Amino acid sequence: MLLKCDKTIPEREKHIVIKGKGGCTSARTCKISCNIPTTPGDMTERGCTYAGCRGVVGGPVKDVIHIVHGPIGCAYYSWGYRPHLADDDFHLTYVLVTDMDESNIIFGGEKKLYQAIVEASREFPDKKGVFVYNTCAPALIGDDGRDAAKMASEKIGKPVVFFPCEGFRGVSQSQGHHVGNEIIFKEIVGTKEPEEPVVYGINLVGEYNIKGDLKNIQPLFEEMGIEVITAFTGNASIENLKVMHRAKLNVVHCQRSATYIADMMKEKYGTPYINVTLWGIDNMSDALRDTARFFGLEREAEKIIAREKERVAPHIEYYKKRLSGKKVFIYQGAPRAWHWVKLLKEIGMETAIVATTFGHDDDYRKIFEKVRKGTLVVDNPNALEIAEILTEYTPDLFISGNKEKYLAYKMGVPFVNGHTYDSGPYAGFRGMVKFARDIDRAVHSPVWKLLRENAGNNGGIKI
Amino acid sequence: MRQIAFYGKGGIGKSTTQQNTAAAMSGLGNRIMVVGCDPKADCTRLLLHGKRQQTVLDTLREVGPENVKLDTVCSKGFGGVICVESGGPEPGVGCGGRGVITSIQTLEALGAYSNGLDFVFYDVLGDVVCGGFAMPIREGYAREIYIVVSGEYMALYAANNICKGIAKFATRGYARLGGIICNSRKVENEAELVSEFAKRLNSRMIHFIPRDNIVQKAEINKKTVVDFDNTCPQAQEYKTLARKIVDNQDFAIPTPITQDELEELMKDFGIVD
Repeated sequence: MLLKCDKTIPEREKHIVIKGKGGCTSARTCKISCNIPTTPGDMTERGCTYAGCRGVVGGPVKDVIHIVHGPIGCAYYSWGYRPHLADDDFHLTYVLVTDMDESNIIFGGEKKLYQAIVEASREFPDKKGVFVYNTCAPALIGDDGRDAAKMASEKIGKPVVFFPCEGFRGVSQSQGHHVGNEIIFKEIVGTKEPEEPVVYGINLVGEYNIKGDLKNIQPLFEEMGIEVITAFTGNASIENLKVMHRAKLNVVHCQRSATYIADMMKEKYGTPYINVTLWGIDNMSDALRDTARFFGLEREAEKIIAREKERVAPHIEYYKKRLSGKKVFIYQGAPRAWHWVKLLKEIGMETAIVATTFGHDDDYRKIFEKVRKGTLVVDNPNALEIAEILTEYTPDLFISGNKEKYLAYKMGVPFVNGHTYDSGPYAGFRGMVKFARDIDRAVHSPVWKLLRENAGNNGGIKI
Repeated sequence: MRQIAFYGKGGIGKSTTQQNTAAAMSGLGNRIMVVGCDPKADCTRLLLHGKRQQTVLDTLREVGPENVKLDTVCSKGFGGVICVESGGPEPGVGCGGRGVITSIQTLEALGAYSNGLDFVFYDVLGDVVCGGFAMPIREGYAREIYIVVSGEYMALYAANNICKGIAKFATRGYARLGGIICNSRKVENEAELVSEFAKRLNSRMIHFIPRDNIVQKAEINKKTVVDFDNTCPQAQEYKTLARKIVDNQDFAIPTPITQDELEELMKDFGIVD
């Protein structure tokens, strides 16, 4: 369907679908245009390949030096955006950049990159390696950054991993996730063997420890007797990544940004994987249950699930009473848009609108499977479309990210930051309570009543 | 001030022709600046008697863009010709094209174009491989382009490609083809072939420079022919070419031909069997 604001971009029609209309009745029959180049004129919110590789996949690794090879602006605008915490904050505090200027473009930036790696390594001698992220400018002039990285690695005696994640590749940041997966797999995974043989070991793949999600998740697996060899890449050390090939099972959480490495490990090492959702009570229970089944630890799992459920149940009941029947608009990068449909039901909320920035066909298939008839599904929405949806479809809550936060506030729509969390962490059983609490706070904040009274408008404030 | 760009296949004698023409033209009382747009920085060697010119880009790199002085990057050569070399990276690294853009913008910012010049020559490397090497013919710099060729297939092929570039820019700029200069390699029917080729391009062969060993002799002595032996017949040829360029009124938007047409042409003139 075509939104009103899209009169001049009729191509957007293929990106917006209502489940239950126009032959879209099931995940099989619903078709939506996605993961294709942005239509000219559409002010997309998509990021770039560099953003996806540096910001999502590479960035969380805690004990390597992160160097951006490019102009100075590429550094700041990739720094401090995602709270992928670890038990050390080096990776969040520092970003280094080669600061390519006009003369480096003309004469080449390889020497400067080499020098940057060597100097940075001298400055931070306890770090275990270097990640180099290539940007558009050096790629266009044909800088051989890979060679500079190789030479520097020989000089410093540590791994220097070069990510060819130039921003202009691909149609969105999604390509960057792919590059990040491939390079880590090719250059790091399997370069070391674990000291002791792994028996009950898994990787939590696509778990980035946003605001500390892992502390709600990892202890539960460990309690069952399962060792988490690495989370890919939340709170990850490069040492964990090196031995992740010895895990018995990959437990894949973010199925957009990290299924790639699970597939590659399956092919090369025969490691099986299962897909899970680590948000929400039922989802988290299933994740523990499915993982336990693989190892024959079902009894242990059920004990933990029962205990945790009992602990959070009164809280969930409380919020469910307050939030039942509320209508939600979820807009996320991709997977959270479907991950959250079910957990919102646990607190009585209905998902009425779902959108993703860079979802592929498989993401939308999962969305169409989970949403009810009448749900509006939007691929790669722009700010005008979001504004129109907030005004015309009047959701009671908008769950989105930093970019949309102030638009929602301006329009008087309760907002929760699903991308980097308001409080968080939101994963696991206890995280669900925090999530529900943040939602309740947003929905029932007295400020909305005040705003509406003053504006004399019941359904949001037109801008 | 008229701005002229010389293009042509690498090794065709472009820089030699350009410098000899500049030397001859200065003898006609013109104030000339030559801007070498080749990372090798060898476009003004003969005019400067072998002196290595400090390039614009090296200077930029060494002292920073704020501290570049016109005096540092401009040298006076034979006949008072002001010589500038863009310079650029070593082969295989960096971006020579971006270098040309930066260099020309720097010269403009430094006021190199406001010194009462009559002519500015741009000597651009072999093929227009990327946008940077088209810089001299866009944004209102050179309006006249001369392509140096010989009667050999690859030289004409390159010239035809350059014409495609000119034709593209012509619709949104002022660059026009002033003519084809044949720097003879003494191949059969050369003048006829190049004349016909030029005609097909909607242009003309503005001059045929015969092959003469004195050019090489002068070059070994790090001089232009006019400088080395002003009275020899070859010096006369360059003076004639210089005068033809000064008097030229004939500027065209080129009409590049197809590869098949070019091959046919070579056959017709007996170069290919």
